[in-house]
Parts: sequence; C-alpha cells; structure tokens
Amino acid sequence: MKKSSRLAYEENPEKVERAEVVVGISSYDSAEFIGHTAEQAARGLLDYFGSKNSVIINVDSDSGDGTKEVFLGTTTEVPKIYLSTPPGTKGAGHNLRNLVTKAAELKAQAVIVVNAAFKSITPRWIKNLGEPIFGGFSFVSPLYLRHKCEGVLTSGIIYPLTRVLYGRRVRQPNGGDFAFGMTMAETYMHHPTGGEKAVLQTGVDVWMTTLAINQAVPICQSFVGRPKTQRSPDGVMPQVSAFVDVVGTVFDLMGFFQERWQKVRWSKPTAVFGFGMGEADAPPPLEVSEADLYRVFLQGFSQYQALWESLLDDKTFNKLTEIKNLPAAHFSFPSELWARIVFRYAVAHRNQVTDRQTLLESLLPIFHGKSLSFVKKTERMSIQQAEEYIESECMIFEEMKSYLAADWQGKR
Amino acid sequence: MAKILVVDDEEHIRLLYSEELREEGYDVITAEGGYRLLERIDRERPDLVVLDIKMVDYDGLDLLQDIRNKFYDLPVILSTAYDTFKEDMKSIAADFYVVKSFDLSELKRKIKMALEARTSE
Repeated sequence: MKKSSRLAYEENPEKVERAEVVVGISSYDSAEFIGHTAEQAARGLLDYFGSKNSVIINVDSDSGDGTKEVFLGTTTEVPKIYLSTPPGTKGAGHNLRNLVTKAAELKAQAVIVVNAAFKSITPRWIKNLGEPIFGGFSFVSPLYLRHKCEGVLTSGIIYPLTRVLYGRRVRQPNGGDFAFGMTMAETYMHHPTGGEKAVLQTGVDVWMTTLAINQAVPICQSFVGRPKTQRSPDGVMPQVSAFVDVVGTVFDLMGFFQERWQKVRWSKPTAVFGFGMGEADAPPPLEVSEADLYRVFLQGFSQYQALWESLLDDKTFNKLTEIKNLPAAHFSFPSELWARIVFRYAVAHRNQVTDRQTLLESLLPIFHGKSLSFVKKTERMSIQQAEEYIESECMIFEEMKSYLAADWQGKR
Repeated sequence: MAKILVVDDEEHIRLLYSEELREEGYDVITAEGGYRLLERIDRERPDLVVLDIKMVDYDGLDLLQDIRNKFYDLPVILSTAYDTFKEDMKSIAADFYVVKSFDLSELKRKIKMALEARTSE
C-alpha cells in the first residue's frame, strides 16, 4: 500500500501504469454491491472495449465495511486498482477528484463513472456511457428509466434550474453515472470551484455536468436502459445534506457563470445515444408517503416562517400561506410560485442574506410541498405523461427567466 | 434571414408551411422525405428543420436521430398529426414538437424560440 500524491491510499496489485479506458466505481460502505458492479463493469469493458487497455478503479471514501476487500477479491479479467481517501475524509467529490487524477496519470482517453450502490448496472451501461467519448463527445450524461417519483430533487429543481440557466436540456444533470474525456478531466482538475465543500461531497455530479455544459464541448445523453434501482439518496424525500450540497452547488455556480447564463434565452435539446436496446423493464414501485411530505411542509412554517416572510415578496409569501391552508386532499403547489421561490432563493444565496446552510435548509420544506403537489398531480399518469408534466414545468421556469435576471441584477 | 428546411411527404403541408414561413421572413426549402437528407442538410446548411414524424417511406424519429448524430446542434421541430409519438423516448432529441394545424402560430412561436436559443449561446 502506498499513498498517492493526493494523499489517497492506493493498491495497484497488477501495477497498471497505462489504460485507455478507465471505469471508476465511487463507493462508501458499498461491500454489498461492489462485487456485482465490478463484475458488470469488467464484462462491459471486455465485450465492448476489448481492443483497448482498460482498468477498473474503486474510488472509495475509506469504507469500514470491507468494500476494499470485496472489490479486490472479486475475480475479473480486467485489472483493478483501489484508491481511498485518507481516514476521516469522506465524500463523492473526494472520490471523483482522486479518480480524475489517477486517470490523468494513466493517460486515459475515456473515464466512465458508475456508482457502487446500483444493483441494476449491466455491461451495456459501460458501452453506452463510454462509446460516445470515442465518437467525439466530451461528456456523457445518463438517461434512466425511473419511477416518476424517484429523483424529485432532480426533476423538481436541479433539472429545471440547470436547463433555464444554461439552455441545455440534460435530463439527469445530477446523475451519478457518466463519462468524460480528458479535455473535461483537465477542467475538473484545475477549476477554481473544485475545492468547494459541497463539490467535494454530493454536489460533485451536478458540478461536473454544469462545467461540461459551460465548457462548450460536445455533450450527449446516453440511455442506460434498465431501471435505476439503488439505495437512493435522491428519492421522494432527499436527505438534508444531499439537498444542501446539490442545490448549494447549483446556486454557487450561478455566480461563477453569471455572465453566460444571463445571455441564454431558451433551452435546446441534447443529443441522445443508446436507443435500440429493446424493451426496458418497468421501474420498480416506490413507496411515497404523502402524509410525510405534507407534515414536513407544514412544520416548515413553525421553523422558517419569519425567514420566508423576510425573503419572499408579499405576493409570493401570501400565496405560500394560502397553500398551507389547503386541505391535504386538495393540496396543489403552482409551478409559477415554485419557480419564483427558487429564483428568489438563488439571489438570496448570492447575497448571503443569512448563513447559507440555514438558507438552503429552509428551502427544503417548501420543496417537500412542491413534491407533494407533483406526487398528487402525476398519481394517475404514466412515466411518459409525468415526463411531459416535468417538461411543462421547465417551460414555466424558462418563461419566467426574465424575473430571475431582473432580481439577480437588483432591478426588483 | 434564417433558412428553414421543411421535411414532409404531403405536398400541401410543404406548400402551406413554405408560404406562411416566407411571409414571416424566412428562407424556406423543402424535402419530401428522408432520401439523402443528411447530404442536403450538409450542402444547404439550414438554420432549422421542421420534420414530419410519420411519412410513408420514412420514420421521422429515426431521421431525427440521424440528424442529431451528425448535426447535433441543429434545431429540429417535430411536426405531427398525433401526439402519440411522445411514447417513444427518441422524441426528446427534438427541440420542440407541434401538432399539425392550419393555424401556424404555434409553429412560428417555436421556430422563433429555437432560433433564439441557438443564437443566444
């Protein structure tokens, strides 16, 4: 065992020094799934990139559950490297930083990243994420077939906001599976925002996507087919830390890229790769507790009412109060109101009207109210119909962009 | 003047779109199907394509994929008589879709938005 230049622990039993294709598996306490993920990745590399030198790298956050032992003990025909953060350092962003550095050392051409928590990965994921890189794309974002209520953090705020800001329709900007070439790797290694705390944690995925969009390199989305099933941090009620990291990262990047996004008017689609995979299975059912969403939304008033009142204009705050008084059975959260609140929060975050952690945490109960409305509205919809509903919400964000720009420039 | 390529196998649609879009100030060229469409796009460099989904000899969604693979930034608006195509995920590669109508105001609005999106980058 040795330490790399970035203080990550490394085990490289087959002494790999060069690899054209790298599959990185990001993990933390993933002993249960990582063996399967490594096997599927190895099969994908052999089946679809067999003529290239490849390696599988487990980038780990110093797991204590035997992740390393399971990974290195899994028999694969593709060599493996284990990298870990130092003891006490945890976070997906740290993992990806170690991966990018190692991939550069190995002089890789393509880096494919998959999350160790997935049960649904197949060798085709490796093909569909990696192949576009060799076809000239610099960044590949995933397209999943998901339950309509899975990933509300993405569909309710991250996708609409990223789309309205930068004018690119990347449906899963916060997906944990993606691929990039070495042009983007250089950007990731040296970007001034790369050391932000949220980026080193859960904010890293949306950070990587946002940088790719703004780098003006060719990007595409790739359909990875089978339903995404995992221990989801992004279910219908995202964890507070994930919400704060991810939304905080998007807000931070709004400041960094403000010159660019204020020039963008409407969005345009992103190329799609990977169709023709046959019929995908239906995604597994997801348990959604409307009562929990409603309860947390109402609790927000007792905790954050004063902050909301100071942050939001009278019309917006009054509308929010009206919604509070709706009976649960008729609960509805208008998309225009949600867009207005998100935009106001983005400006408040930039202006640091209160400490940013508190600010972002105070948005979460409102978000739960918005999610409850989404769950109710899409209850009888198919996945496709729910997608169309999300698209219509995105258009509302786009139509209201002038409100955001004016607020951002202090003209409101 | 933006150049628009209308791809539709129905002549009356090509005529209607051409006439109305020319009145809006666009330069309009037409094609009646997908035969050598990519070569035509390469040669004529339209700023936007209005693409029929269901043509007798061609599947518009397959053509959309072909266009995206080669001209990934070229705006494409799908034009359809029915909106059932949305069940096919390939349709997300389009900028917009419009349901065919003799009132082209929605098409004109979407063309304007797609062209604005292209020039604002």
